[in-house]
Amino acid sequence: MKITRDGGWSPYLAGALAGLLLIASAWVSGKFVGASTTYVRSAGMLESLFSPERVKSLDYFVKEAPVIDWQWMFVIGIIIGSFISAITSGSFRTQALPDMWRERFGPSRVKRGAAALAGGVVAMYGARLADG
Amino acid sequence: MTVLAYGLITGVIFGFLLQKGRVLRYDVQLGALRLLDMTIVKFMLTTIVVAMIGVYLLKDLGYVKLSVKNTLLGANILGGLIFGLGWGLLGYCPGTSGGALGEGRWDAVWGMFGMLVGAGVYAETYPWISKTVLTWGDYGKITLPQLFGLNHWIVIAVIAAASIAVFFQLEKKNL
Repeated sequence: MKITRDGGWSPYLAGALAGLLLIASAWVSGKFVGASTTYVRSAGMLESLFSPERVKSLDYFVKEAPVIDWQWMFVIGIIIGSFISAITSGSFRTQALPDMWRERFGPSRVKRGAAALAGGVVAMYGARLADG
Repeated sequence: MTVLAYGLITGVIFGFLLQKGRVLRYDVQLGALRLLDMTIVKFMLTTIVVAMIGVYLLKDLGYVKLSVKNTLLGANILGGLIFGLGWGLLGYCPGTSGGALGEGRWDAVWGMFGMLVGAGVYAETYPWISKTVLTWGDYGKITLPQLFGLNHWIVIAVIAAASIAVFFQLEKKNL
């Protein structure tokens, strides 16, 4: 079973271009890509709004300071780049329930929201534990 | 400022390519986990092989320095298992959830909220984790060429050849 591709590029082509991008990034700015540290920095920024003392007292927020850095901008850029690609190719589609989810778990948005939220908590905990 | 601009530009191009490759959506990510559709494996492996060759070439020429992370067997294995559990529930990963939101899949927002919470929870447990799990199986900054005692180009050639063999099998089985 193949999921519908609705006119995207070959994953080999898009993947190879992404590889070239990573090479250029390492060369030009000396940066290697990642995303999960950005969630740590953002969590620190949000927590700082409510209890700055708590954030300052946690070693992990000292190690990964709550500031906007290269990777933070990279993660924001992904949202923008995906939006540009989707809009210009007519494949933008607002969707609260993925097709595969709906087939298996039904039309409840609350159920999907709860699973996505819980999944996010667990996935990020694992990602940070494995260090990326 | 220049550093931040580079980050943004790199992200915009990367997000553009992720969307073009159609790897952002839940159905494709779950399709890979359910062994029904290997699109994301094709994308990721191609990216890794191309980037591996280019980055090592630049390293040999003295233009880049590798950024090798510590191999911490306990944390890598345990963290990987936990991550997989969450990924299967969410259907987006930390890098792609923003991209999924960008193409209109707004259930990714719940995942992004969850990931912020998960990061906060990790920070709370870090003092304990750093004294326990993070000390299990610490091999330092090792690479495969070092581990096998081989020239890095031999390792790269083997990984590239194995990836191409995988691609042929995937295409043959129409995955």
